[in-house]
Amino acid sequence: MKILMFTWEFPPLISGGLGMACYGMVKALLALGIKIDLVLPTREMVYFPLREEEDVDKMPAVFMDPVHHSEFLTKSFQDITERLEYIGITPTPETYFQLSDMRHFISKVKSEYLINEHVSQEEHDIWDDMTTHLIGEEDLIKKVQEYTQRAERFARELDYNLIHVHDWLTYPSGMLARKISGKPLISHIHATEFDRAGGPGDERIHKIEHAGMTYSDRVIAVSQYTAQMIMSRYRIDTGKIRIVHNAFSIEENQVHTKKRIFKGPTVLFLGRITLQKGPDYYLDVAERVLKVHPEARFIMAGTGDMARKLLRRSAQLKLKNRFLFTGFLNRKQVESILRAADIYVLPSVSEPFGISPLEAMAFGITSIISKQSGVAEVVNHAFKIDYWDVDLMADTINHLIENPQICKKMGIDGMKEVNRIHWNEAAEKIRMIYSQVLSEFLKSNP
Amino acid sequence: MLNVVFYFQVHQPYRLRHLNVLDIGTGTNLFDDRLNAEVMRKVSNKCYLPTNQLLLDLIKENEGRFRIAYSITGTAIEQFKLYSPETLDSFKALAETGCVEFLGETYYHSLAALYDTNEFLDQVMMHRQLIIDEFGQQPRTFRNTELIYQDRISDLVYEIEGFTTIITEGVDRILQWRSPLFAYKNYSKDINLLLKYYKLSDDIAFRFSNRDWPEYPLTVDKFVNWIDHLTLGEKGDRNLFLNLFMDYETFGEHQWAESGIFDFMRHFPSEVLKRPHLGFVTPAETQALANYQQESLSFPDAVSWADEQRDLSAWVENDMQKNAIETFYELLERVKTKGDPQLLKTARMLSTSDHFYYMCTKYFQDGDVHKYFSPYDSPDQAYIYYVNALADLEERI
Repeated sequence: MKILMFTWEFPPLISGGLGMACYGMVKALLALGIKIDLVLPTREMVYFPLREEEDVDKMPAVFMDPVHHSEFLTKSFQDITERLEYIGITPTPETYFQLSDMRHFISKVKSEYLINEHVSQEEHDIWDDMTTHLIGEEDLIKKVQEYTQRAERFARELDYNLIHVHDWLTYPSGMLARKISGKPLISHIHATEFDRAGGPGDERIHKIEHAGMTYSDRVIAVSQYTAQMIMSRYRIDTGKIRIVHNAFSIEENQVHTKKRIFKGPTVLFLGRITLQKGPDYYLDVAERVLKVHPEARFIMAGTGDMARKLLRRSAQLKLKNRFLFTGFLNRKQVESILRAADIYVLPSVSEPFGISPLEAMAFGITSIISKQSGVAEVVNHAFKIDYWDVDLMADTINHLIENPQICKKMGIDGMKEVNRIHWNEAAEKIRMIYSQVLSEFLKSNP
Repeated sequence: MLNVVFYFQVHQPYRLRHLNVLDIGTGTNLFDDRLNAEVMRKVSNKCYLPTNQLLLDLIKENEGRFRIAYSITGTAIEQFKLYSPETLDSFKALAETGCVEFLGETYYHSLAALYDTNEFLDQVMMHRQLIIDEFGQQPRTFRNTELIYQDRISDLVYEIEGFTTIITEGVDRILQWRSPLFAYKNYSKDINLLLKYYKLSDDIAFRFSNRDWPEYPLTVDKFVNWIDHLTLGEKGDRNLFLNLFMDYETFGEHQWAESGIFDFMRHFPSEVLKRPHLGFVTPAETQALANYQQESLSFPDAVSWADEQRDLSAWVENDMQKNAIETFYELLERVKTKGDPQLLKTARMLSTSDHFYYMCTKYFQDGDVHKYFSPYDSPDQAYIYYVNALADLEERI
């Protein structure tokens, strides 16, 4: 079985949980013998033919025009990072795409692929929804346009049984590939615009999300919470939705010894400091706890558009030197901060899944997670509290500070629990979905 | 007679490293030694060494008639010893002329007067001892950090043996119709008070090289002519004092050598001394010369020489500054109880007012002087590093 997979993030091209999830999922799918051609927002026209489990770290790359890039085949690179930089995997992909190019491309797509008599009015409407909303001068929209235009060649020239796309940035590509090849499409929902925006968000993105999911043969949601969201907010046919919880792979033989920074109990927020993640609720909790336990330390790790506002507010609340901001942390620093923490708080307003608490639990940190999260569905040894219930969160933290042995036991139980969560179970569920979709497809296209 | 009273402020803080939460508790050095050394060497070469040489020559040429005063902070003297010992030697050479007065202040250029009376007295005594040890004279004039002054501070200074004069800013809202050219008394009439003549001081310190200023370029003739005119209304033979107070870094650092600031200074004393009714004295000498009933002035609220407002808003206005400084003085108490001299020294290095100045958000968008003087990208960054330093300090207690 061979999959054409479109995603926006994959290590080392990563800015959040999407890349981490794709990595774990793809690795586990490869272990099941599934072959994957991966397409990323690279600067060069390349794809990544992944065949073996190890390929997720090697990232073999193939140019669509090898003749013009013979240098790539002969050139020796110091390491993978340098090779990936050569093909343009950078934290912020550049784009030279013009709006007029997109208009031209859309009319070409319509004249080439949407003319025959089998195209229903309904299908026309979905396409119109996607194409009229993939318009804008923002960098991100332009990058999605460019990515979508390139998808045409991958869809035509590669050989595959199924198309699998992750989040709205890749939905237009998935729709195009399905139209061109006639192969079934699976869309994977890691987050909707409602989650990311922590509110209504961008209307254009809703339309693209809706079009992509409607055009798909199956929709995979990362949690019950997300499935509920796509049923109620996007009105997607319940029969197409499948739930596959994300997992978390711990590197083998990894022992996380504690290395304290503070003598006092240390509480951690780790993630983007944006509305979605509820950092303002965390600050409110800190204020309440510090009144009772001034010896506690609250760390806010990460960056984001609310960082400055919260910094100023922490000063205004006179939280002294007890509420600290780390700024951006690299992978090694994240591990150091996890080793120093006793209690982890995820106060997300809306979290489709949320891998970060699993990672914290793997470090034996007692976790308090928002009820409005997918991860709350998969763990038992964590406190689950509504993100807005800052009093209960504060009481819980106070209780844990006052009863360190309970805190420690919860941490150890949580660690054991997380160690049992593996990507191969999730991959097995995805393989079942692939098979089912394929057999339906073969039945209807004998 | 009108006497020009020059006082130059010499100060360098210990700037903090870009401290991360992960540095806390690792026993790391909180201060950016490399940056501090670099700044000290740069400013020594551009300002301290050439200006000291120039003023030494002028003092010798004018045979005791050209007199000046310095206030040098403890943190500056420590860093001379570390990074530019020749600069300290050149100040000692100036001290030996007998024409230079060294003022007293807080050792760490701190805001302790506003937050912690005992700490204030400790730092003033430490600084006094340092001046005695380095320059062989006991300070008689007191200048508080950034010329911050209010009635309460004069009470504290009066308690310390040896201080007879305090200098501060000639703030309009206090002076109203009065002239800053007179020597005044503090509110309780027990200390001599000198007020900075900010217009003429700032003409040199801030406007000297400003080409948009209508008076540009400022020549010695023009400036001395202005000084001449100040005495026109004065009929009797009362001794007046023109207090020109400024950062020493004005010479060669804030105003570059290319602006002609050194030439200006080279010719200024002789031009003044050509006139029999003009002269130079140091702050401590003014009290004996005040041949009139000195009016007492009350400063109920704190004033300073900073910014347009001339109040405390450069250091303790926004929430970050207030949280930082209040947390600091709380911690200082606990550090003192612990009784570890090295830890106390580190803590006091964090009391320097510059740390709070860097957190000022008043005009940050306009990129004004605060930004010019700050080693950090933004007030928020300055705050983060400082609070991390305090968190580290607390872990060390």
